[in-house]
Amino acid sequence: MTVIHPNMADETAKIRAHDVCVYYGDKMAVDDVSIDISPKYVTAFIGPSGCGKSTFLRCFNRMNDTIGTAKVTGLIELDGEDIHGDRMDVVQLRARVGMVFQKPNPFPKSIYENIAYGPRIHGFAEKKADLDVVVERSLTRAGLWDEVKDRLDDSGTALSGGQQQRLCIARAIAVDPEVILMDEPASALDPIATAKIEELIDELSGRYAIVIVTHSMQQAARVSQRTAFFHLGKMVEYGPTSEIFTNPIEDRTKDYITGRYG
Amino acid sequence: MSTSALSAAGETAQSTRPTRTPVFERRLAKRYRDERNFRLLGLAAVSFSLGVLVFLLGNMLINGIGGFQRAELTVTIDFPESGVTGDAVSLTAPSAAQTLEMQGLPDVVAFYAEQQLGAEAAAELSIDGWRDVSAALADDPTLIERSATFELAASSALAAGMQGEGPPEMQALAKRLVDEGKLARNWDWGFLSRSDATSPQAVGIWGALKGTMLTMLVTLVLAFPIGVLSALYLEEYAPRNRWTDLIEVSISNLAAVPSIIFGLLGLSIFLAIFPNLRSAPLIGGMTLALMTMPVIVISGRNAIKAVPPSIRDGALAIGASPVQVVFHHVLPLAMPGMLTGTIIGMARALGETAPLLLIGMRAFVATPPDGFTSPATVLPMQIFLWSDEIDRGFVERTSAAIIVLLVFLLAMNGLAIYLRNKFEKRW
Repeated sequence: MTVIHPNMADETAKIRAHDVCVYYGDKMAVDDVSIDISPKYVTAFIGPSGCGKSTFLRCFNRMNDTIGTAKVTGLIELDGEDIHGDRMDVVQLRARVGMVFQKPNPFPKSIYENIAYGPRIHGFAEKKADLDVVVERSLTRAGLWDEVKDRLDDSGTALSGGQQQRLCIARAIAVDPEVILMDEPASALDPIATAKIEELIDELSGRYAIVIVTHSMQQAARVSQRTAFFHLGKMVEYGPTSEIFTNPIEDRTKDYITGRYG
Repeated sequence: MSTSALSAAGETAQSTRPTRTPVFERRLAKRYRDERNFRLLGLAAVSFSLGVLVFLLGNMLINGIGGFQRAELTVTIDFPESGVTGDAVSLTAPSAAQTLEMQGLPDVVAFYAEQQLGAEAAAELSIDGWRDVSAALADDPTLIERSATFELAASSALAAGMQGEGPPEMQALAKRLVDEGKLARNWDWGFLSRSDATSPQAVGIWGALKGTMLTMLVTLVLAFPIGVLSALYLEEYAPRNRWTDLIEVSISNLAAVPSIIFGLLGLSIFLAIFPNLRSAPLIGGMTLALMTMPVIVISGRNAIKAVPPSIRDGALAIGASPVQVVFHHVLPLAMPGMLTGTIIGMARALGETAPLLLIGMRAFVATPPDGFTSPATVLPMQIFLWSDEIDRGFVERTSAAIIVLLVFLLAMNGLAIYLRNKFEKRW
C-alpha cells in the first residue's frame, strides 16, 4: 500500500511510471511502483539498502537491459511516450535520460575526450571549434572548468574522486539530456566533495529533471523537493520532501526517518 | 604502594595475553623462518632457470659464431690480361652471370687459382666461386679494368681440414695455405642473403627467413582479426547458453590439440582445395593460424572480462550503441591483454615444425620465395633439415640458423611489447 501525499499528481510529469515491477530471475526487486516525476524539482529516492530504489532508477534509462536476468514489467512514459515502445530507441532514450553512477567512472581518456565523446557520437558537434564550446560549457556548468581548463589533455582518471564525479556529471550534461539520474552520486566522496556535488545538483535543478538515489536522509532533505521512501521493493510514501521529513503519514516512513532502522 | 601494586597487576594481565606468551613468540619465529625458506627456494628456482638460459644462449652463441664465418681462398684476377670484358651496363644486367660464363669466367678463375695456389688447392675451390666474382663485378663494374683480389669459398673438405678434421693430407694442405696467408676464415655476410644449398660453404638463411616472415604475416593477418572478433563476439554479444558453453569448451580444447593434428587438417583441407600450393607460405600460414587463433581467443576473452563494467555502463548511459561501447572503450582497454596472447601464440607458431612437415614445407628450396604462393621453407624447418645433414660443416651453420631464429623471435616479441606498452592505459 503506497501513500501518496495530496497534490502530487502532475499534469506536466516528465516521467510517469505505472505499476512497474522488476524481477531478477524469480526474485522481485521492485514491487508495483507508480510515480510521477516532475520536471521542475529534484526527486530523491530514499530507503534502506536492498529496497529496490537503485533498480527502479535504472528502469528510467533502461540500464536494466544490460543485466541478462532482469525483467521489467509495467509502463514507464517519458513525456507520455512508452520507453519500451517500438517508437522509442534505447540509444536515443539514454541520450535524453543521462545517468551518473555511484562510483565515478570517467573514461581512461583525456578530460576533453571524456566530455566530447557524447556530443561526437551523437553528431551534435563535429568540428573542433564546436566541440570546444560544448566542452567548456559542460565543464562550467559542472563547476569544474576553472580547476581543469589548463589541463584538458590530462587523463580523466588522474583527477580526485570529487572532481571525477563532477567530470561524470559534465559528461552527462554535455549531450544536453532532459533528465539526469543520479545513483548515490556522493556516497564514495568526502564531505567537502559531497557539498560541492550537492551545490551542483541545486544549480542544475530546473534546467534538468533530476532524480537522485541516496542513502543519506540529510542529503535528501538538503537537495530535493520531492521524496519517495522505498522499503522491501515497495514505494511506501511519496510526497514533498518537507512533508515526508516533518510529517510522514506511514509508520514505516516515520521509523526510518527517526533512525529506528535502515 | 598503591601505584606499584597496580603496575604489577598490569604486568600479569599483559603476560597472560595470548600474543605475549613464549608459545606465540616461537610460532612467530617459525613463521619468519618459513617465509625466509620460501624466498630462498624461489630465488633458487629463478637462478636455476636463468642459469639454464644463459648456458643455452652462451653455448648457442659460441657454436653459432663460427656459422657466420666461412673458409675462403684468396685469388687475384687480372681482368685486362684475362680477356674477360664488359661495361657498367652489361655487368649489372640480370643476365651478367650468363654473359661472363660465356666469356669463360669459370675457367679464368680456375686458371688464376691454379697459378697462385697450386693445382691441389685450386681443386678445393668451390665450383661456384666464379659466381661470387660475378656478383662482385655487378657491385663495382670498374673492377673489370684492373687486377682485383677476391676471397672465394673453399670446398667443405678444405674447410673441415682447416679445423683439424677429415683426411690428414687435406689437413696438411689447409695448414700450408693458412701459413701462406692464402686461406682464412672470414665473416660471411652472404649467409644472411643466400638460400639453402647442398654445400655448407654455399648455404644461406635468407630463403628460410623470408619464408618465415611471409608465413608469420599470413598467420597474423588471419589469426589476429578472427581471434579478436571471436573473443569480442563471445564475450559481448553471444547469449549464455548450452551452445556458447560448447563453443567455449571447444576453443579451450583446440588450444591444447597437438600441432601435428593441425598439420593433418591443413593437408586434408587446404591442400585438397589448393593442390598447387604445396610448400607455400600461404598454406603454412593458414595452418598455423588455425593453431594460433584459439590462444588469441582465450587470452582476448580474459582481457575483455578484465575491463571494468563501470566503463561500459558509463558509455551506455550517455547513449553509446553496443558497437560503439565495444570499439571505443572495451577493445582499446583489452588490447594490451590481447597483444600478450598474440605474442604467445605467434611465438609458438614461429617455432612450429610438425604441422609444416605435413604440408610439404620441408622441401629443399634453393631460391628465396618471391611471394605467398611460391615454395618456401621456414627457419625451424631449415634448422631441422641442416641438423640432419652428414657434412660436418652444417653443424655450425645450424647453430647460426638458431641464432637467426632467436633474434627474429626477440625482435617480434620486442615489437609486440612496445605496442602493448603504447596501448596500455590505467583506470
